[in-house]
Amino acid sequence: MYDLAVAVSGYLPGEAGVVDTRHQYNHLFDLFVPIGLAVFAIFAGLILFMALRYRRRQRAGGRTEARLAELVYVAVLAGIVALLVTNTFRTEAKVDRVAARPGLAVTVTAAKWNWRFTYPAYGISVVSADIHPSTLVVPTNQTIRFRMTSLDVIHSFYVPGLRFKRDAFPGKATTFDLVFERPRFMGECAEFCGLHHADMRFGVEAMPAPEFRAWVAQTQREQRAAG
Amino acid sequence: MTALAPAPVTRPTPASGVIEWFAGTDHKSVGVRLGVTAFVFFLAAGVLALLMRSELAEPGMQLVSRNTYNQLFTMHGSLMIYVAITPLALALGTYIVPLQVGAAEILAPRVALVGYWLLLAGGITMCTGFLTTHGAARAGWTAFDPLSDSVNSPGTGMDLWIIGVTLAALGATLVAACVLGTILVRRAPGMTMLRIPVFCWAMLVTCLMVVMSFPVLVVAMALLYVDRHFGGVFEGAGGAVAYQHLFWFYGHPVVYVMFFPFVGAVAEVVATFSRKRFFGYKAIVLSLLVFAAISMSVWAHHMFATGQVKNQYFALTSMLLVLPAGVEYFDMIGTMMGGAILLRTPMLFALGFLIQFLVGGLSGIFVASPPLDYHVHDTFVIVAHFHYTLFAGSVFAFFAAVYYWWPKMTGRMLGEGLGKLQFWVMVIGTNLTFMPMFFLGNDGMVRRIADYTPQTGWQHLNEVATLGSYLIAVSVAIFCVNVFRSLRAGTPAGGDPWEGQTLEWATSSPPPRHNFDRLPPVRSHAPLLDLREERQARGAGAPA
Repeated sequence: MYDLAVAVSGYLPGEAGVVDTRHQYNHLFDLFVPIGLAVFAIFAGLILFMALRYRRRQRAGGRTEARLAELVYVAVLAGIVALLVTNTFRTEAKVDRVAARPGLAVTVTAAKWNWRFTYPAYGISVVSADIHPSTLVVPTNQTIRFRMTSLDVIHSFYVPGLRFKRDAFPGKATTFDLVFERPRFMGECAEFCGLHHADMRFGVEAMPAPEFRAWVAQTQREQRAAG
Repeated sequence: MTALAPAPVTRPTPASGVIEWFAGTDHKSVGVRLGVTAFVFFLAAGVLALLMRSELAEPGMQLVSRNTYNQLFTMHGSLMIYVAITPLALALGTYIVPLQVGAAEILAPRVALVGYWLLLAGGITMCTGFLTTHGAARAGWTAFDPLSDSVNSPGTGMDLWIIGVTLAALGATLVAACVLGTILVRRAPGMTMLRIPVFCWAMLVTCLMVVMSFPVLVVAMALLYVDRHFGGVFEGAGGAVAYQHLFWFYGHPVVYVMFFPFVGAVAEVVATFSRKRFFGYKAIVLSLLVFAAISMSVWAHHMFATGQVKNQYFALTSMLLVLPAGVEYFDMIGTMMGGAILLRTPMLFALGFLIQFLVGGLSGIFVASPPLDYHVHDTFVIVAHFHYTLFAGSVFAFFAAVYYWWPKMTGRMLGEGLGKLQFWVMVIGTNLTFMPMFFLGNDGMVRRIADYTPQTGWQHLNEVATLGSYLIAVSVAIFCVNVFRSLRAGTPAGGDPWEGQTLEWATSSPPPRHNFDRLPPVRSHAPLLDLREERQARGAGAPA
């Protein structure tokens, strides 16, 4: 749960550009799930009630038509649908929005069964070493612009902690923005991609800007030394 | 002029034995063969699921290799959807629809028979993949390009899968066309379109969807085959997206093909065991038509995470399905209200369907919202969602239909005690299996993975799910025992053991070759109920 301002407006206080996908997800979740649970309770309750209340009676009575009630009921359902759809549209507009000026650009290259993260501005890239999955390193609380492509089949870049995934297609660049607030995330490939699909993981390390700059400098030195 | 005298009509002698099994065109025997065949595929696909659940119970690979696991889930989904649940639905239609509309025969019986052969051949062809050097298909039941192309899925198993799916889709299309035609042109005198039973309306919209969407799958499979062997069809990213559009244009309607017939069967069961006329007949007819129409335009909600479709449109159409689905629930509850309910086994399974399908339907609204789907797409939330619709929903309704119509088909009753035992074991097993998957998926467990690390903490919920799947196996075994006992020494059913309301109960069990010696007058969608009410109104139980 989070504060009322977020629940009402859907906006995070003090944020600019792209929003945290996790908060957006929670906002919709807190709308959809209680409604769903309530509807389940009402209908399951009614079905059980009818089954027990009208059990083993001698003769059936009751109506076989109630058009006005049914019309009113459909109108109520339509109202609920309208609520869900409008909230969905509003939230999706925020989640899909890309910032005018992202803080950092990262190129993601997916291939069976590995991830490569390239930082064009710094001329460095991260790949997996031996059996260790590659780690995406990003500064916290900045809009990161991802440009993603695949070298072979369709993969899907999925960070459960951010409640976000996007497919990577071969021969096509997909662009999306994300903001990382917490220090660590687990990442997976979500689209089945063959033999080692289950092992196509990656890590995310998010750090404050100064630490990130230090990491960039160090990685640049290492990669230059390695040629 | 004796030469012009009409030749004596030569009636074909009824075939028997092996010939009848392969070539009999009676809709009842085609329906039974289709049902039995589909149920065997259902059992086979269930065994594959048990192997998968056993592998997932613990982190690490214990039972099968990754390669085998990928074949298991591919073939589990493929068998279930192409040659088990869809044909089970069509088998019910083939057997019951001509009886319910008072027809002597299905329209174009030989076409329906060819449809059965094609479905059988399709299922066997798919399975023969297991016998090839590289094993069966392993690109998922959706076989997305480029994963399914010749570079990423070499081997004969994938080709056999494509051929099998094509045959099964063609077969289903033919059977559906025959059922559809029967409803449209073979109705008994007096049976207007607004007097056909609810199950027939459900089959009508089902068959409409089959004949409109399955040919698209046939085209997609043909293109995939050409692409694998000659290349050049699904080139580049545009090709990969185009394949998904073609596939889901079939792939979404098919989930309703696997749903409507069972809704229709449940409607019959609920009305019969509430001993009351179905509530809101016109409303549910309209809702089925609206349902079918909208569900032809929701396919790309399977593609929200691709970033390649207009998500808002498909989110809107998907959520609109709430309205017709809501009407169906309203009418089911309205039917029970004021009834004189008998909680026999068919009714228990029908109630199980109604309550458990709610979980599948409501979670369907959840995943119809793209920002929510961005998280749960391709995770175990989706696996839980569609198993609540297909297993906790459709399969429960299938058992409701079997317990309901078995006496009609065989002339013998299934055991009530074993039936109720099966129901309760199945309810517990189903919910133990699929409920934990919602939590696993929300925690980030993606689907189609052969393994997960111990650090994820997913083991306990997976153990629960695996235990549940074994209980489902036990419940299906109880059903098989019940069937065996009924066939050997079941209580004779008579023509109408349930006080049925529709025409199939106005003939013997099983019905004769041409179904009816004579038909009662048809003045509503429940002609036998009309007769019973007339007799009661006359104040005396007229001799039967």
